[in-house]
Amino acid sequence: MEKEVDGILVAAHELKAPLAILRQLALSFDEMDTKNEYIRSEMISVSERAIKQVNDLAKIKRLEDGLFTMEPVAVREVCDAVSHELEYLFSYNRRDLYIKYMNRSRLVTANRDLLYSVIYNFLLNAMHYSGDGTRAELIVRDNKENVKIMIRDYGPALPMDVWREIKRGWVNKPTSIAMRPGSSGLGLYIASKFSKYMNARVGAVRHRDGTSFFVELPTSKQATLF
Amino acid sequence: MIFVIDDDEIMSECIAREIGGEDVKKFSNAIEAMQEIIKGNIPDLIFLDILLDGPDGFTFLNELVSYSDTSRIPVVVVSSLDFGNKKLIDYGIVGILNKDTMNPEDIKKYVREYAK
Repeated sequence: MEKEVDGILVAAHELKAPLAILRQLALSFDEMDTKNEYIRSEMISVSERAIKQVNDLAKIKRLEDGLFTMEPVAVREVCDAVSHELEYLFSYNRRDLYIKYMNRSRLVTANRDLLYSVIYNFLLNAMHYSGDGTRAELIVRDNKENVKIMIRDYGPALPMDVWREIKRGWVNKPTSIAMRPGSSGLGLYIASKFSKYMNARVGAVRHRDGTSFFVELPTSKQATLF
Repeated sequence: MIFVIDDDEIMSECIAREIGGEDVKKFSNAIEAMQEIIKGNIPDLIFLDILLDGPDGFTFLNELVSYSDTSRIPVVVVSSLDFGNKKLIDYGIVGILNKDTMNPEDIKKYVREYAK
């Protein structure tokens, strides 16, 4: 078991190095004309997403060591940061991102990095499955004891077997949702693992015209200034 | 003079390009860089990777801070490692750049501050 953990961490580091170089090379080009600028931006964006995914995989192995501190986290700040990061990608893929904060969006007990990845992966998933010209929705709602973050897409309904697995509590392995690139279910697996670590509840709601994934985090007892 | 110590030649070249000018020396390992310093070529600033072939970046830093003539050289660590809350100030580190997220302007900022 120990060898497997080391192997994945080493592989993650090996993968990250060339990705970081690709990103750096793209950044080192001066801004190009309109025709070519999108190629440069896409190279940066693709390498950044790949780096993030490799980092998340390495974090999954580190969850076992319990190194991620739980602390009061402002949900709204994290959602704003993630949506800001993905703004370009949504626009590039001709999708809209609709964000709505119900109530005050209090502090939750979580790890900021892990929560960031959960929301990031759900939003990326929503963008991936929504059709051209449609929108994904990020809705944050305060309940009495928890804060619910819901991400809705307008794509195909979630397959019944995947929905059942999520309903059981978490996803044990990446489960392919559709036979096409980017549909390995890795993002959902990562989000599920991180949520479990944070004692958050993950769920999915099937709609006739899409799917909503949600994560519920316990509110922090610490007073909030928000 | 600015030193760039990184065992990855392309990354090293990217950093050197952003520094600009001719007074940049690139080293692929800590030993070569230390030998250059022993010759009397004390840099104004060092960009240092941590995971290197041979002695790692921390070994190099320990060596650097242990001598009076090199202990005050400003060092910027450039790495993919997550240092968390580890205190690196004792090593004379003036900044940490994460290879996954750094931008060309981050490098230029340190050059302006410490080497121009």
